[in-house]
Amino acid sequence: MSLTAPRDRAVPGRRGTPPPRTPRRRKQALGLDHGAWFLLLPALIPILVLSVGPLLYGASLAFTDSQAGRTEPTQFIGVTNFSDLRFDDLFLDSFRVGLVWAFCVTALQLVLALGLALLLDQNLRFRWLARTLALVPWAMPEVVVGIMWRLVYHQDAGILNDTLASLGLIDSNLDWLTNFSLALPAVIAVGVWAGMPQTTVVLLAGLQNVPLELREAAHIDGAGVWRRFTTVTWPALRPVVLAITALNFIWNFNSFGLVYILTQGGPGGETRLPMLFAYEEAFKYGQFGYAAAMGLAMVAVIAVLLALFLRKRLREDVQ
Amino acid sequence: MSTTTARTTARTAERTRRVGRVAGRTGQYAALVLYLVFLAFPLLWLISTSFKSPQELASIDPTWIPREPSLDNYRAAFDAQPLLRAAFNSLLVAGTSAVIAVAIAVPAAYVMVRHRSRVTRAGTAWILVSQMFPLVLIIIPLFLILRNLRMIDSLPGLIMVYVVWSLPFALWMLQGYVKAVPRSLEEAAAVDGASRLTTLRSVVLPLLTPGLVATLMFAFVTAWNEFFFALVLLKSPEKQTMSVILTLFVGDEGAADLGPLAAAAFLATLPSLLFFALLQRRLVSGMLAGAVKG
Amino acid sequence: MRRTPTRTAPARAAAVFALAALLAGCGLGDEGPDDGTVTLDYLSLAWQAESVEANKALVDRWNAANPDVRVRYVQGSWDNVHDQLLTSFMGGEAPDIIHNDASDLTDFAYGGYLADLTDLLPPELRADIPEQAWGTTTFDGGVYGVPFLQEPRVLIANAALLADAGVRIPTTDDPWTWEEFEDVAADLTRDTDGDGETDTYGVAWSMSEPVSQSVNLSLSTGGQLFYRDGGENEVRYGAADSAVAELIHRQVNEDGTAPRSSLGMGGSDTLPGFFADRYALLPLNFSFRQQVAQQAPDGFGWSVLPMPSGGGDEGLAQGVAPQTLSVAQDSDHRQAAADFIAFLTRADHAVELARGDWMLPTSTTALADPSLSTEELGWRTGVELAAALRPSPVLGVRGYPEWKDKIATPAFQEYYNGAVDLEDLREELTDDGNRILDRYQR
Repeated sequence: MSLTAPRDRAVPGRRGTPPPRTPRRRKQALGLDHGAWFLLLPALIPILVLSVGPLLYGASLAFTDSQAGRTEPTQFIGVTNFSDLRFDDLFLDSFRVGLVWAFCVTALQLVLALGLALLLDQNLRFRWLARTLALVPWAMPEVVVGIMWRLVYHQDAGILNDTLASLGLIDSNLDWLTNFSLALPAVIAVGVWAGMPQTTVVLLAGLQNVPLELREAAHIDGAGVWRRFTTVTWPALRPVVLAITALNFIWNFNSFGLVYILTQGGPGGETRLPMLFAYEEAFKYGQFGYAAAMGLAMVAVIAVLLALFLRKRLREDVQ
Repeated sequence: MSTTTARTTARTAERTRRVGRVAGRTGQYAALVLYLVFLAFPLLWLISTSFKSPQELASIDPTWIPREPSLDNYRAAFDAQPLLRAAFNSLLVAGTSAVIAVAIAVPAAYVMVRHRSRVTRAGTAWILVSQMFPLVLIIIPLFLILRNLRMIDSLPGLIMVYVVWSLPFALWMLQGYVKAVPRSLEEAAAVDGASRLTTLRSVVLPLLTPGLVATLMFAFVTAWNEFFFALVLLKSPEKQTMSVILTLFVGDEGAADLGPLAAAAFLATLPSLLFFALLQRRLVSGMLAGAVKG
Repeated sequence: MRRTPTRTAPARAAAVFALAALLAGCGLGDEGPDDGTVTLDYLSLAWQAESVEANKALVDRWNAANPDVRVRYVQGSWDNVHDQLLTSFMGGEAPDIIHNDASDLTDFAYGGYLADLTDLLPPELRADIPEQAWGTTTFDGGVYGVPFLQEPRVLIANAALLADAGVRIPTTDDPWTWEEFEDVAADLTRDTDGDGETDTYGVAWSMSEPVSQSVNLSLSTGGQLFYRDGGENEVRYGAADSAVAELIHRQVNEDGTAPRSSLGMGGSDTLPGFFADRYALLPLNFSFRQQVAQQAPDGFGWSVLPMPSGGGDEGLAQGVAPQTLSVAQDSDHRQAAADFIAFLTRADHAVELARGDWMLPTSTTALADPSLSTEELGWRTGVELAAALRPSPVLGVRGYPEWKDKIATPAFQEYYNGAVDLEDLREELTDDGNRILDRYQR
């Protein structure tokens, strides 16, 4: 009982209050004392070496004409790459596709995963099996996911057309991945499918933060399902929802591998995601400088969107 | 309100509502089944594919049950590629990097939540930025750094990359879970004279279990499925991981050796599923179990 | 309380994994014996089981005969070889011997990552492979790869449907003209059950990669799209360049003899419909015969026909990008690597590799091998077409990949789908297209 007794005090608003000032404060470096540094460093050092370093280097390429090949030396060219980017209509067009894709996938992922997490949190029979099966998309490697879904969507021999036809929903087989109006919705469905498990797991773990007593109290008060959800579950889950949604949005905006396996960006550029441009610019055409500029432009756009989305959490952080 | 009385009252209320409950339960099961059909049917299709002959795979009316099921695809897959070796490598890399990532992320996330400072704020910002920047531009500088560390074509090198690769998620999510741990508990421990490390270990950690498990799952699966780093960082055939081996069943212009690919992919999916099945209980048992049993 | 297991289980797991990692690091990290023997990495993209087998067998034979120069077989994949190579080139860790195709060599050669093989290859090999083929790997006067396998596009035909329709069966001596092909496709198109919907289409164009097909087939009508003007590459899209594309557009959008839906498919995707009599003819690469042979239902009759002719001497001409073997500039043992390539591409070995990959050898001696001119599985049709193969016009054009991805692929997809007309297509390909090429030629 020792651990759970103080739990009813753990209501929102108690979290994140500043630590009490102690005498240790004098021995601080950059606002942290030795003990804190000791806990932080094991994570910090690998990040500095293998993440910060490469990333700053990669970002700095945006101001150069860096190319693949060793025949021409790299030169500093200022913001030329960025001014070129302003006239790159194809890249700008792909932003529209990218935003539609990222918004739809992230929103659907959240709604569906929330429903699933709430179900899996119930004391249902075969819960362990359901929980395991719900994670199937996560367990399948991406290349396999792409190929499996291509088979599912296959016009002549696909299980989807077969099923829809036998249910009498369609007369003739649909060309899901090559039809100009079906392709984007079709790949969005796969994106949602592939990303649901991790959102579900995170939310499921987050649901454990909902104080049991509060839930039961609300139950006894005779609160309806919806009211119980909005007054008890949601407030406790909100920080986790914000955190995972922000990450999901970034990841979805940045992903292109799955869509590339499914459609190669076709038909006619309908599913060309912006990150595909950066990838092709760097790896297929060897234009690292220009690709880095694209990368930074995308970082800027996502950062603005995220700042709007997370402004509350960020404000809490600054306090 | 004390927990015991709450539970007794709840039990009485429950009896009066049982009828409504049954209807609710049926709805819940129905919804769950729909979810599972949507999420798991590609696995079934994969299994079914793995038992079909090339002729049947090129058939225009697909069936769920193979007409003449055979193990030929499994035999072909094992003949063509060193699947066991690759599975061992993947298990080693994914398991080690997941454990290390969680082990170093927990203390760091704790500090980032409990000791707000310039460093931890920069760290939080970093987590997000590092997820926004295109991976393709990081690969080459990363390659050069690892080369200087003589870590190319080595599994420990790959493990290091995966640790760093899953740290942002681990730190970001764990922060959320740490915030949910009541401060009062730690303060009580601190008053008792426990060091920060002891507090972290004996008070915070047990309460973090669901978050830890979610993070562990994430780190494991990310490393298990990761493909691009493994492709460019490993050279020796005997060091290849499962995800790289799987692409060897895919040919030019999207042609694929479907049967053996499905067989190998099914085998590649099993360890993760097994891992989930084992861990899923812990996903919720931490605080809840404590509350119920206490 | 469940505190105990949660804390110790991960700890124990960590210890086990750390130990295992340590063992793996020590056990596998050896760099080979330091006794003067050389180890070369051979990155092979062989994919079909027979081809992998043939490659490995040749590597074994080489290793048995050359104890000083050991070759290690490393399996790569067409799917991702470019990314893998670019990274390892830039990181200075490239494999010594590299299997690739000619269209991927341009940028690597200009980038200085591939060795010039001019002085490293034996003269017999230079003489045995026709100049045409060497042209596909020669950039700026240097030879950056040995073109060793190539394949024409052919028509795979459903024998029963062709017999039913009573159409003339073409040969390489007397092929269909494109006009005849259009009529044949119409004859083959059927609405068997009379419900107003087509049940059998004459032809299914799998156009997941529309550009290389459109360019390479244009040679038969005297087109080439890429013209060299005073050392500068320029795209032009005149009547000769667009004749085949116009025909495909017509078949899909006017004649109704080719389905619109197959336009987004890769070659393999069209096979189920082909076996089910939904498509009578499939324009596919020669090596697709392997998949057809493996996947066809028992008793299914199929044959290999030449692509239609644009008339005249060059009527059967088409562009190809052969498979190549190259040596990394960074390799410490370039001569040894070139020796191994010469060994792999020796005429008798080239025959084995060609049979393994269901492709044609470039070597003149190998092509004359009786085992390749059998009627069986359409081998002879391919061999007879070998003389008509020309270097694809896209080879050596800097900026081609970008032109292809950004301009040509979407433009051709829209044109074939009937979303835009020929005038729009021409404008896209030349106006926007040449702007991209110009950037590479500044």
